[in-house]
Amino acid sequence: MSAAKGLKAIAPVPTASDFLDIVLSKTQRKTPTVIHKNFKISRIRNFYMRKVKFTQDSFDEKLGAILTEFPMLDDLHPFLSSLLNVLYDKNHYKLALGQLRTARHLIDQVAKDYVRLIKFGDSMYRCKQLKRAALGRMATIMKRQKDPLAYLEQVRQHISRLPAIDPTTRTLLVCGYPNVGKSSFVNKVTRADVDVQPYAFTTKSLFVGHLDYKYLRWQVVDTPGILDHPLEEMNTIEMQSITALAHLRAAVLYFMDLSGQCGYTVEAQCKLFHSIKPLFAGKPVLVVCNKSDIVKPDDLGDEDKALLQSVLAEGAQLVIASCYNEEGVMDVKNTACDALLAHRVENKLKGSKVNAIANRIHVAVPKPRDDLVRAPFIPDTVLSRKKFDKDDPERPKLERDIQEENGGAGVHSIDTKKNYFLGNDEWKYDVIPEIMDGKNVADFIDPDIMERLEALEREEEKLEADGFYDSDEEIVDSEDERHAEAETARKLALAKKHAKNRTNLPRTAGMRTISEMAESLTAAGLDPSRLQERAAMLAKARGAKRKREGAEGMDVDAEDMSGDEDTYGDEAGMEVDGEEDTPRKRAKANSGAALATTRAARIRTNRLRAGMADEVQASKAVRLRNLGQRMRNMHAKAGESDRAIRVKMPKHLYSGKRKGGKTDRR
Amino acid sequence: MRVEKCYFCSKPCYPGHGIAFVRNDAKMFRFCSSKCHKNFKMKRNPRKVKWTKAFRKAAGKEMNIDATYEFEKRRNVPVRYDRELMQTTVKAMQRVAEIRKRREHAFWKNR
Repeated sequence: MSAAKGLKAIAPVPTASDFLDIVLSKTQRKTPTVIHKNFKISRIRNFYMRKVKFTQDSFDEKLGAILTEFPMLDDLHPFLSSLLNVLYDKNHYKLALGQLRTARHLIDQVAKDYVRLIKFGDSMYRCKQLKRAALGRMATIMKRQKDPLAYLEQVRQHISRLPAIDPTTRTLLVCGYPNVGKSSFVNKVTRADVDVQPYAFTTKSLFVGHLDYKYLRWQVVDTPGILDHPLEEMNTIEMQSITALAHLRAAVLYFMDLSGQCGYTVEAQCKLFHSIKPLFAGKPVLVVCNKSDIVKPDDLGDEDKALLQSVLAEGAQLVIASCYNEEGVMDVKNTACDALLAHRVENKLKGSKVNAIANRIHVAVPKPRDDLVRAPFIPDTVLSRKKFDKDDPERPKLERDIQEENGGAGVHSIDTKKNYFLGNDEWKYDVIPEIMDGKNVADFIDPDIMERLEALEREEEKLEADGFYDSDEEIVDSEDERHAEAETARKLALAKKHAKNRTNLPRTAGMRTISEMAESLTAAGLDPSRLQERAAMLAKARGAKRKREGAEGMDVDAEDMSGDEDTYGDEAGMEVDGEEDTPRKRAKANSGAALATTRAARIRTNRLRAGMADEVQASKAVRLRNLGQRMRNMHAKAGESDRAIRVKMPKHLYSGKRKGGKTDRR
Repeated sequence: MRVEKCYFCSKPCYPGHGIAFVRNDAKMFRFCSSKCHKNFKMKRNPRKVKWTKAFRKAAGKEMNIDATYEFEKRRNVPVRYDRELMQTTVKAMQRVAEIRKRREHAFWKNR
């Protein structure tokens, strides 16, 4: 957004030659470039027509953009338009824009004509020449626009640097002769930094500063100095002030330098005032006597005083200020702002828009409902209380004083328990238990705790009397219970036994000794003597055979001997009489009072040889068996069914390089 | 300083132990240990977790209602300090604890 309100940012205006370059190079890039004379003639014509049209369009577009961007002076606020007029000469401005417009029109014409001619071109050469002519004429037209384009570029640059003056808001306009102190005032009152120099016309254009007063934003416009000559003779710089004066609805601050240091007498200044008086119509005017540190209005001579009076007679207010020592500057500001505010409010009230707002505002005031006076109540003691005075030696002692006495803030800790109200003052500094046995003491504290405890004790006694707490002796078990217990004990024993993988019956379960037999026979009324003799004889024979077999040498697998227990289904080896056809049995080597077999019927099956024809075959069988077991034993397998893999991926087989071997060893 | 009860297992949480969790509806939960805290975060119901007092009371394994429980009650009105009262309170606490223990044992025997 351009600085001045109401002026938008304008795109830079290129010079004529640049303009031409831009458009022509654009044509070259954006249109097809390949053409040959033995293309179809229509194609050739199209090609050249396109170029001409494209160039025309580009010119059109760019010129149109410029024309729309530059503001129409008539569409702007009169202040802006007259300011622009003052600065750039309205006529010249309009002319330049008009020239561009004409140029655009001319280019259009050229293009139209030449396109019509190309339509009937019969050869590539002819078409090309026509295109060249068209573009050439457009170029010439543009070259003639050098001056307007340059001027417009200048204008654009200047416009972008204009100060942002809002013509409608609250403004203070500072005017007067050159060097009276206008810019210094603006510097003092706002944050603007206007050049202040001893030579006249230091300020060559309008400057804006902003100030805040009564929560509102005010513009302060600093103008270049005005000299006293008629309007027609004024130069651009002065005309800017005049424009501002004429079009801005502002409070006018007419600065005067009573000392004459600006180079102009009081008389001259007053004369200037009178000549630009018409511009002050309808505006609150303030006459500021600046440089009051040098000369005050009272110090003036009589004629000057009279002149000053004449100035003030017009309804202007007089303020005395000095920007040098800053006295009266704020006064000026305040007076000016108030005057302008009053003026604006007055104008608004006179207008019709106020009613719309006034209708909507209502101030409510509470109505008294009766005549009773309700005054605030303050007790007498409070009214009569002596106010605490820091310096009074009789003042009451504060905790703070005690603290100071005893060593200060970090050393002494204030005794907060001093003023406790307790039943007995000795209790003030007691340490109170809080937790006991995982319970909070505070939960139990109760003024009636004693009564409740008594009630509880009585209850306890009652319960005790009822036998609630009688210690329970083991109640006599009934028969069923005892059986049940025995049962469970038995079950437990059985379970233990099975856990050890033992048989239900011991080896000696069905065993009977000879003496037992003799007894039972005697009890039956039979004579056991003959049987006893025979049994003794057999026993002796067995013992002798065993000794003999031990000398002969046992079998290879001696362990089988202890393992054999070839008892048959019937009575455990009670055959006394020989039964030759019964198979041989091997009796256990050291079963003492056990099996007695017939000499003849002693069967000793050698399991190692069973099923084999001879020793050779047997030993081969053994060798084969060992062979089959070797691999498993080497791998520490428990048996042929042991397929467990303890380590799925042993590290030594899966890491390292395979240097020269297999993956079962790396 | 107060000894609070653990929300999950109902054990006492001494000051400086455990975690307190405040929910968005301003309900506060105290836990005596990370065990209880983690169980709570797993959304376990203490009434179903066997080792908590809540379960035991709900399942009738421990004495629930008794006169001795009436002594321990959170009081909102502070009582002015009285040394004798404090002494009697401490003694009463011990006696009440004894009685309660006895009753609990009797309950356990008869349950």
